[in-house]
Amino acid sequence: MDQLPNLGRETEMLSEMGMSSIDDLFADIPEGVRRNDPLPLPPPQSEEQILADAERLLGANIHLDSRPSFISAGLARNFVPTMVPMLATRGEFLTSYTPYQPEVSQGMLQAMWEFQTMISELVALPVANVSMYDASTAAAEAITCAVRVRSKRSSQPNTVYVSEFVPPHRMSVIENYTQGVEIDIKILPHRDDGTLDLEAAKAANDSCAVYVEQPNAFGSIDEGLTRLRSIIGEKTALIVGVDAVSLGLIEAPGNWGADIVVGEGQPFGIGPTAGGPIYGIFACTKDYLRLMPGRIVGQSLDADGKIAYTLTLSTREQHIRRHRATSNICSNETLIALMGAMHMALLGPEGLERLALRVASATQIALEAVVSIEGVELIYPESPVFREFAVRLPCSSRETLERMDSMGVIGGFDLNQWWGTMEDCLLIGCDERTSLEDIETLCSALSASISEAYS
Amino acid sequence: MSTVFDFNGAPGTGWSQPKPVGEDAGAQIPGSIRRKNLPRWPRASEPELVRHYTLLSQRNFGIDTGFYPLGSCTMKHNPRINERIVQMPGIDRIHPLQPDSQVQGLLAIYYEMQDMLAICAGMDSVTLQPVAGAQGEFTAIRCIQEYHNSNGESNRNKVIVPDSAHGTNPASASMCGYEIVEIPSGPDGRLDLDALRSAVDGETAAMMITNPSTLGVFEPEIAEAASIVHEAGGQMYYDGANFNAILGKTDPGRMGFDAVHYNLHKTFSQPHGGGGPGSGPIGVKSHLAKFLPSPIASRRVRAEDDPPGVGDGFCYFWEEPESSIGKVQQWNGNAGAVVRAWAFYRRYGRDLERMSEHAVLNANYLRHRIMRDFGNPQMPPMPKDGAPSEVVKHEFTLDMTPVKEATGVTAKDVAKRLLDYGYMAPTLYFPQIVPECLMLEPTETESKDVLDKFADDFLSILSEDPEIVKTAPHTTPVKRVDEVLAARQLILRHPCE
Repeated sequence: MDQLPNLGRETEMLSEMGMSSIDDLFADIPEGVRRNDPLPLPPPQSEEQILADAERLLGANIHLDSRPSFISAGLARNFVPTMVPMLATRGEFLTSYTPYQPEVSQGMLQAMWEFQTMISELVALPVANVSMYDASTAAAEAITCAVRVRSKRSSQPNTVYVSEFVPPHRMSVIENYTQGVEIDIKILPHRDDGTLDLEAAKAANDSCAVYVEQPNAFGSIDEGLTRLRSIIGEKTALIVGVDAVSLGLIEAPGNWGADIVVGEGQPFGIGPTAGGPIYGIFACTKDYLRLMPGRIVGQSLDADGKIAYTLTLSTREQHIRRHRATSNICSNETLIALMGAMHMALLGPEGLERLALRVASATQIALEAVVSIEGVELIYPESPVFREFAVRLPCSSRETLERMDSMGVIGGFDLNQWWGTMEDCLLIGCDERTSLEDIETLCSALSASISEAYS
Repeated sequence: MSTVFDFNGAPGTGWSQPKPVGEDAGAQIPGSIRRKNLPRWPRASEPELVRHYTLLSQRNFGIDTGFYPLGSCTMKHNPRINERIVQMPGIDRIHPLQPDSQVQGLLAIYYEMQDMLAICAGMDSVTLQPVAGAQGEFTAIRCIQEYHNSNGESNRNKVIVPDSAHGTNPASASMCGYEIVEIPSGPDGRLDLDALRSAVDGETAAMMITNPSTLGVFEPEIAEAASIVHEAGGQMYYDGANFNAILGKTDPGRMGFDAVHYNLHKTFSQPHGGGGPGSGPIGVKSHLAKFLPSPIASRRVRAEDDPPGVGDGFCYFWEEPESSIGKVQQWNGNAGAVVRAWAFYRRYGRDLERMSEHAVLNANYLRHRIMRDFGNPQMPPMPKDGAPSEVVKHEFTLDMTPVKEATGVTAKDVAKRLLDYGYMAPTLYFPQIVPECLMLEPTETESKDVLDKFADDFLSILSEDPEIVKTAPHTTPVKRVDEVLAARQLILRHPCE
């Protein structure tokens, strides 16, 4: 109750208004819908009791830093510079609302304009917004945005082609966002070696959009994607989902024909946080600018002619355009994007490259070590990988992970949870913090666990 | 001030990082797709960046720097213990795909929050997955859509919203493919039951409404409205943006609603962070529960071979509802926001009611202090009440038309002038049904002294030389910003040259 400054001053304030009781303030709620009994909840707690309970409950979780961990599947066990949370949680940033009053919000507005610039540079596209909820909603709204822009001029109106190697959870979000508005999602097949079937992709020519991921759900990098633009034609939107860190090493999709780039921003700025808050990246060419979702900051001048920043192109948004808005997004992930901006600024270009090399190196070394275990095979041996790779085991992946768990190792992700035909497949993920010792521990736990399956 | 791109030191290895673990790092990536030019990000040292972002923060206004009466946004104090808790490794360093046995504490918090939110809103089931209020609306409308489909009523293609609704309501329903039927409010700003009766028909899928309305006024005929919609076969959706006004006093279940979203970043104090993150859980009555997005935290009595758990005798696990619509965010929602909201709720427990009482007390007091001398000829031109009502709930609206007519000073001018006095401006020109609208929501965490001073300052602005007000603000880091120029020139990034 230390949150209520007027506790004990109720009578004084009520009598000033000519009222005698708090109940007078709620007299407008009809008896028929009024709650007359107290809420059946526990008593209030002090700050120290809450902290003790939080320590007890959250302390019961096994966190990724407490043991060798090889689970990734779209989020990164990263290292966030100490500066980032300390500065981003300064009260002036933390406790501000959406910057509708630019004169007193220049700090966040400028930081977001700088964020837009860094994302724009990262993916090599001219325009970026200040964040989506996560990679999946960024992908889903990229698709609806592309349909809005392309549908009328397309010979396949309302039709979008999506790679079959998009993680099912993300696909589920895409389906929810596209079902109501009756967008037809067609699946683009991959070949046996894991690469996108470019021959089949010809069917997407002159459709509204194509959505592919680089790397894909199995961590594979597909050189062939850079030829997609010529296959699907100039008028089809090419939407590419990326691992943001990989762009320190791999060519930015904006430089090989992408119209919209989306992805998970989380590796820059915040820990995996049990899945949120994180933030989605959304960047595009100018063709999509006026129909894109999300907040955008623009540079302008104030009444004295000084440079100033403000939200712009708001007429796309729900608070102005209502049911004709380009998206319903209102609250987004600005504070996490701010953390991302700070992290990116601290890395700098060469720091980004090093970060990408660290991830790439750990992934390759882990891959070579894991496939040397007898009975373990790469599912797509010909594809280069970034951050993760998929292997087939000689036994159940779920049981293998359980045995590794009892040995104190988080050995990866059971792909059977995504695709029912992969009950012996494991997705092993690395990051910048994966050490050679971690990889050794992983391999000995994995091989012991496989041997146990046969004992 | 300078931008972060003005820091352009020598090319180096950036912020200190260890070297890659192996020789030949990145050699697996074919040369043809190796990146040729690195992004032109700044090259800066930690001291330079710490100062840059500190200076930026000083050019930003938050609840911590002053009173923030932004109507509809519930800008209450954010307790700092919550920030400490979310930086614990048991939340920050958790992966959403870890097995249930490794995240018993997180699941226990989710379970407790689902339970508490269901109790507070009179609902049967809750999911914490939607990550913003608008996404909660979208999710609930998707569930309602699947409900109608499962009953063979996919012909229901219309969603009714009052003209005073938040813009996200029609936008969310529209994203689900619904046609929007907007009904006009009555002359007093309240829901017009006759207009509702003539709007419903066999194609009505749902009605979306918030109560108290965006005018801050409780809709006394809400139960009748629910009957009208239900008799037509539609579902009632409660926009929980204004939940801070009624917690413990009534609930959407009693009012006849089938589904509701909560804004944890409003009612439960997840900080708004300049535009997010938020969290927009939804609660539903039992007939909609099987459509909720997956997964939902569940529990059973702990068996002997179950993992240790949290010591309360239960084993927690994620469960998929039977006919789930699938996912609306890739993981389990904004867990960090859920944990903050949990810490906030624990502070009040069964006394959450006090929070709403004080939010309503403060709103009524502020309204009274601004309007008490209305009609006194000694006073400057005064605004009118946005909606006639004995009492308001957590917020209220002012119609600034009389001020504009007398002096030419607009609602926006007054809002900008308030910035000079060290206040955030109220919500402007919303709801659109009130002309020259200012909407004020003080929340429960402001003291009487702050409210008194604000009312005095507000009234003194109305007595000021109109030229001063029209050209405000004067003392802010920048003067009035040209928004038209921003939209015309579209400088959306630094050139990095």
